[in-house]
Amino acid sequence: MTERIAAITPPFNGTENFVLKGRTIIVTGASSGIGKAVAILCASLGATLVINGRSEERLQAVLDQLYGTGHQKVIGDLTEPDTREALIAAAPLYDGLAYCAGAASLAPVRMANEKHLQQMLSVNYLAPASLTQRLLYKKKLNNGASLVYVTALASRACPSASAGYAASKAALESYIRTLALEQGKQNIRATYVAPGYVDTPMLESLGTMIDMDKQSDLTPMGKIESTDIAPGVVYLLSPASRWVTRSILTIDGGLSIAMRL
Amino acid sequence: MIDQAITPEIVAANLFGLAGKTILVTGASKGLGQQTAKYLAAAGAMLVICGRDQQRLEQTLTSLAGIGHRSIIAELTDMDKLMNVAVECGKIDGVVHCAGIRGLSPMKLVSEAHLSEVMATNYISPVMLTRHLLAKQLIVNGGSIIFMSSVAALSGTVGVGPYAGSKAALIGVMRPMALELARRKIRVNTLCPALVETTLTTEDRPWFDEISKRYPLGVGQPEDIAQACLYLLSDASRAVTGTVFAMDGGLEYA
Repeated sequence: MTERIAAITPPFNGTENFVLKGRTIIVTGASSGIGKAVAILCASLGATLVINGRSEERLQAVLDQLYGTGHQKVIGDLTEPDTREALIAAAPLYDGLAYCAGAASLAPVRMANEKHLQQMLSVNYLAPASLTQRLLYKKKLNNGASLVYVTALASRACPSASAGYAASKAALESYIRTLALEQGKQNIRATYVAPGYVDTPMLESLGTMIDMDKQSDLTPMGKIESTDIAPGVVYLLSPASRWVTRSILTIDGGLSIAMRL
Repeated sequence: MIDQAITPEIVAANLFGLAGKTILVTGASKGLGQQTAKYLAAAGAMLVICGRDQQRLEQTLTSLAGIGHRSIIAELTDMDKLMNVAVECGKIDGVVHCAGIRGLSPMKLVSEAHLSEVMATNYISPVMLTRHLLAKQLIVNGGSIIFMSSVAALSGTVGVGPYAGSKAALIGVMRPMALELARRKIRVNTLCPALVETTLTTEDRPWFDEISKRYPLGVGQPEDIAQACLYLLSDASRAVTGTVFAMDGGLEYA
């Protein structure tokens, strides 16, 4: 009898757990590119956001676009401890982190001096690691919190002139996997999304060093937009992925299929 | 400027839902396949479910939300009949290959018969069924194919050799297939779950309870797999192909 009742009443619509209502989420790098797409999508799914970026003007423009109310912005560079502390203090507790801030700079190894390597490490590894450490130390994460980081296919694909960048992203990936193992018992998850070549201001800033048209031609599924990355980040932030931690989600249109990673 | 009428629920349903899509799920009589079929149907998909056990398949069918679902009773290792299964299935937007069996044997004792049986069910059948669907142009452009691999393909456990080999084979075949289908925007991906609670895995309850302790987030539930399938089948994962996605509750040692 109970089986038949269960059959008549659809108990759910299948996608409820992808909704982010009631969840307070930090989105870094939210002024542009992937971070902006993630912020807009998270808000449209009901999350309350604290968004961060370096450009006041662009960050405000994103804030104005967000669905819902109660969102905040914290302007500043995450390599600076003050910015990180301000971000952490912006809300009592967090249910999620979407770390989308990053910088790409290319240099062949013979030109990649210590300054270049340190700069890549500072922005792409130490900043997210330090923010994470402080979030945990200050006990700012709710049970069930999900920490999602945007790393890069480059950490494994290692194309020419990417040594500094690739190594910095690889450092972050190992950090995340360790974090995930440690925090599993606290029901705090940590995962990462590795995008391929995405049409964003960050890649545009590399100018002629990257031929985006060529990369799109090489990508089996064609050009990738920030709006292709955001849903993957959202899946990992949401209760729909409650069992997923320490995992990588590669969104590269199939570019890495032919690579021995 | 922002349309407040588009609620979070509507956004989620549009992005991760499957309204208007037809999905084939094999192994749908029980376990992962059954729960996956339920979630996909709840998310708006029309299902074509496939299994060997007629009674259980019918139960699954009646439990699916929505209308228009169909079932195909078939033994998927019967190569002569597999093309018929594909034709009976008809045009689909996606497929989730959940049908699979265990393959337990110490490697110094394994029989060729067992090795072949496990390979036939877990690798040859899903690959050949996909082949037939493609040959008959039954997977639409923009479609999505999911092979159910396993954490066993990525890490080792004593006694699981035949199973591990068959699940690793799916990862290997996925890559060329994904490249071949990319121009038609058909994605191919593999899921690698660790231990999920089903009738199959809880047969030996003491073993199951003992293994469960290793999982920081607990063992998986079929719903976890189902929701990963929603992501991979929906337009949310348009740019995701050729990937291995592991879901293992934070397990350190398999």
